[in-house]
Amino acid sequence: MAAGGRVRFNVGGQVFETTTTTLANAGRDSMLGALLDSSWNVSSSSPSGGGVAEYFIDRNPACFAVLLDLLRTGSLHVPPHLPEKLLYREALYYGLLDHVRAARWGAFDGDRIRLAESVPGRAPGDGTAIRAAPDGGCCVAHGGAVRVYNWMLDERRPVSLDHSQVNDAAYLDAATLLIAARERLGKRDGGMAAFSAVSGDLRHRFRVAHDRQVKSFTAGAMAFDQESRIFASCKGRLNEYGIGVWDRVTGEQADFFYEHPGCALGDADKLQWLDATNALMVATLFPKADNCFIGLLDFRAKNVVWSWSDAGVAASLDDKRVLHAIAMEDERSVCVINQYDDLGFLDLRSGAGGVRWSSRSKLMNRKVPGEESCYPKLATHGGQLFSSMNDSISVFSGPEYVLTSTLRRSHGGAICDFSIGGDRLFALHNEENVFDVWETPPPPII
Amino acid sequence: MMNGGGGGGQKKRAPRIEPFRHRVETDPKFFDKSWRKLHDAIREIYNHNASGLSFEELYRTAYNMVLNKFAPQLYEKLTENMKEHLEDMRTCIDAAQGGLFLEELQRKWNDHNKALTMIRDILMYMDRTYIPTNKKTPVFDHGLELWRDTIVRSPTIQGRLSDTLLELIHSERTGEVINRGLMRTTTKMLMDLGLSVYQDDFERPFLEVSASFYSGESQQFIECCACGEYLKQAERRLSEESERVSQYLDVKTHEKITAVVVNEMLANHMQRLILMENSGLVNMLVEDRYEDLTRMYTLFNHVPDGLTTIRSVMASHIKDTGKSLVTDPERLKDPVDFVQRLLNMKDKYDNIINVSFSNDKSFLNALNSSFEHFINLNNRSPEFISLFVDDKLRKGVKEANEEDLETVLDKVMMLFRYLQEKDLFEKYYKQHLAKRLLSGRAASDDSERSMLVKLKTECGYQFTSKLEGMFTDLKTSEDTTQGFYASTSSELLADAPTISVQILTTGSWPTQTCNTCNLPPEIVSVSEKFRAYYLGTHNGRRLTWQTNMGHADIKATFGNGSKHELNVSTYQMCVLMLFNSSDVLTYREIEQSTAIPAADLKRCLQSLALVKGKQVLRKEPMSRDIADDDSFFVNDKFTSKLFKVKIGTVAAQKETDPEKLETRQRVEEDRKPQIEAAIVRIMKSRRVLDHNSIMMEVTKQLQPRFMPNPVVIKKRIESLIEREFLERDKTDRKMYRYLA
Repeated sequence: MAAGGRVRFNVGGQVFETTTTTLANAGRDSMLGALLDSSWNVSSSSPSGGGVAEYFIDRNPACFAVLLDLLRTGSLHVPPHLPEKLLYREALYYGLLDHVRAARWGAFDGDRIRLAESVPGRAPGDGTAIRAAPDGGCCVAHGGAVRVYNWMLDERRPVSLDHSQVNDAAYLDAATLLIAARERLGKRDGGMAAFSAVSGDLRHRFRVAHDRQVKSFTAGAMAFDQESRIFASCKGRLNEYGIGVWDRVTGEQADFFYEHPGCALGDADKLQWLDATNALMVATLFPKADNCFIGLLDFRAKNVVWSWSDAGVAASLDDKRVLHAIAMEDERSVCVINQYDDLGFLDLRSGAGGVRWSSRSKLMNRKVPGEESCYPKLATHGGQLFSSMNDSISVFSGPEYVLTSTLRRSHGGAICDFSIGGDRLFALHNEENVFDVWETPPPPII
Repeated sequence: MMNGGGGGGQKKRAPRIEPFRHRVETDPKFFDKSWRKLHDAIREIYNHNASGLSFEELYRTAYNMVLNKFAPQLYEKLTENMKEHLEDMRTCIDAAQGGLFLEELQRKWNDHNKALTMIRDILMYMDRTYIPTNKKTPVFDHGLELWRDTIVRSPTIQGRLSDTLLELIHSERTGEVINRGLMRTTTKMLMDLGLSVYQDDFERPFLEVSASFYSGESQQFIECCACGEYLKQAERRLSEESERVSQYLDVKTHEKITAVVVNEMLANHMQRLILMENSGLVNMLVEDRYEDLTRMYTLFNHVPDGLTTIRSVMASHIKDTGKSLVTDPERLKDPVDFVQRLLNMKDKYDNIINVSFSNDKSFLNALNSSFEHFINLNNRSPEFISLFVDDKLRKGVKEANEEDLETVLDKVMMLFRYLQEKDLFEKYYKQHLAKRLLSGRAASDDSERSMLVKLKTECGYQFTSKLEGMFTDLKTSEDTTQGFYASTSSELLADAPTISVQILTTGSWPTQTCNTCNLPPEIVSVSEKFRAYYLGTHNGRRLTWQTNMGHADIKATFGNGSKHELNVSTYQMCVLMLFNSSDVLTYREIEQSTAIPAADLKRCLQSLALVKGKQVLRKEPMSRDIADDDSFFVNDKFTSKLFKVKIGTVAAQKETDPEKLETRQRVEEDRKPQIEAAIVRIMKSRRVLDHNSIMMEVTKQLQPRFMPNPVVIKKRIESLIEREFLERDKTDRKMYRYLA
């Protein structure tokens, strides 16, 4: 190609010079990569004779400058006068949008994250759930619809499953969104479906059959394992309660784990796949009749390999009630939280044994939950534990889970749900349905 | 913005407010113009004439088309256009004759790939935006699909392609050289089109054709080849197929084609191959064909039930040969040879399993159980094994070094482990050991003791305690004899023969019927002195002379003047001493004066007078059998090269039939208390037990020593009930109760 590896671009009249090595950072799959590829430069001995190849590109030079800088340094610096959307559009033209996204914010660290943006909600009702997409986008479920945002926080087409009340949403991958919805009386709707997160089109409706008869159902919480299966808690009309299992590729029902007496599965509030244990954690925390139940299901042997229940523990309203549960990343314990924001742990390796409540609530000035409060939620990421309470999120780090940061902002009210993914944390507030986006800034220069 | 375009402000009417147009109308021919540009470019690309094209311009054109929402039409046009190009290519490929077909296909495939990359480059923006939101196939993959449908799966090519590939593989199988590079690139193309294309269009027919090829070939081979030859062929075919896979097929095919070859060549003919007459497994085993056996083992390892079949054929062969060995009356004549043959057989199969069957545990187990089966078919095996050990441990028989001896003994222990009647072995071993020790013919104390240790580790302390007692007796006897000579004044013993007394504890040694004889007066006097000394030092003991077990060294001067020292048994000594006073004696006279039992005396006279080279006496008449009136006299012409002459005893090493019966009876008798002890032990801990469980537990407990006969156990239970150790349950007669 060009001598000395030098390349000259004329972008919208402005001339840039760079090297082939810098451009190689764009990758062969980008427009710049193709432009310089040998298949397009079979006989292009430079006519100017200067030994430097020159290419004309009919685009915005200011944006090209930013993107060229990104290819040179790997970091993104957007001048104040340059609108971000313009930059994103140009990046898409060159096929560098992924580069921009990767440089836009840093690797997730709960102790370094900053509030990046607040997105005002437009939904009429209260939000039920917010879910982070693997690529940094998110979706917010309120009532019968799910609002979908890409990582640039542009809103896409909202998604709904017959406008039934949405119980849970989950990103199977960046482009596929699963929705679990309630079945309404008299209508054979609700259930579970997969949508394109990009276009909002319905891709697949998951069916449940009992005795070879397809039945409508209400889907509650959802989870999926690493390779092949999707799980959801299911409530059928005729007491067909249990956990449905579907093949991820074909979408066909693969299994159904009917609930035994004493372990409520059909209206589970949280499902979580434990890869190392090869079991599904099911937590039913707001049961209609029975007690709180947390259990691990083994689908190979079709049995409950570990379980805990608050039977006989929570007698009155003031007692500590488990309101949310999450299996820790080492799969050795389950972390739970109660209405006083106490953290507790259940040991997964030993059989029985109660909740080991940590003494955190004594350190905090215990506030009697007011009317504005929301139920607390838990999440784990990269060895850190996150819990939401009222209007802030606490970050706990280290093997002992010591409180290291508190994320709070001035308005929006209590946090009703939050989610971590794509190196971002999304927190959905109770008031006005506003949601916050927390990001880790790029590392300091030195 | 409002007036910026061509269509916006053509008709101006002042008072009307024009509706705000969001976007400027585009040229109605925009799409056609743009597509024409791309269309021409694609044509140039397929014509290898891309040098004049500007990528930036083409990319921008496609970008604008997508931006103006023409992506669906663009996609459609592209599909159409590529199809046209591919159809042209197909015509070229169709026209290619014979061997050029694959080459042409390959050339076009390369062209298409290259073009496809460039087309993908141009339409990259569509790939990123329109394709994912509309679930379309990306341009490159779409191009592969078109190639698959238009070329590979077209009616003119599909069959021809797979036939060509299969034909080439067939000719390679029959020994021709083919262009493997072309094969590789062609199969690679099928794989690039997706695993299902490779599998459906090539792999499945390939496996089918291979199956029928190998089915035919194996049929042909098995009719004319010996088993070893056949297996060699199968092995070669298997390695050829693996090489084929590594050369030009998908890795995943390896397992499948191997399964086909194994199934056709081995599994389908397994029984016939293994049992093949004159060359099958049995012949390989007989002829120690390690290489063939190894091959058979590794090949049939792939076949389900293959090793099980080999193992069971081997086991039944071992059982058969073993059975014919142990039941052959010819073999019973020489116990040492009998055991040696067993050992050789064991060595042989140990070697085969070690070398050819990769020391497979299950094969070793089969070997052991086969040996156990046939060794116990002959109830004299315990005796013979003991005799074999006796032969090895006896002095002077073979001057084997101790290490060799050790390994032989270890091997014998293997055989010992197979024995069910270990107590019978113990009985014989005791007898043989006693003989060795008393006649002073134990080759080495170390070897004897090491054998004892082996038995002890195998069977426990109880088994060898009496045998160890025998060694202790010998040691103390030596001390006692020394003590006797030290305490008795030498004048008192002047001229008397030197005696060495071995004091055997009754019970430790095999009981012998006590056959006393009249000892010569010289001996009587000294032995009486010893008795006095011994009883003087030990209170409350009884001393009985076992004259049938001793031996003596006597100095003899013959009539011809030659002097020799004769090593003889006590009985022989008694006989020879008679000739100090008489020249000729008849058998009856000898019998009267010595009082030696007739059978022993005859044997002893035979050994003195009839063994060639050691004829100390002469007999008249010179017949083998000894009659009452036969007379004996000293052989004056006795000569020998050696000064010391050892006179052996014509001894029956092997037991005679009545002896055998006696031993058997004694063993049966000895077993009774052992069975009773076992019953009592079990009942004491269990208190109440039903009949079947007792039988089972007793058998289990005693199995290491012998297999108790159920009838005998039942009798012992009856006897214990009589003696009120046990009682029957009053309601359930099958239950026994222990009475403390």
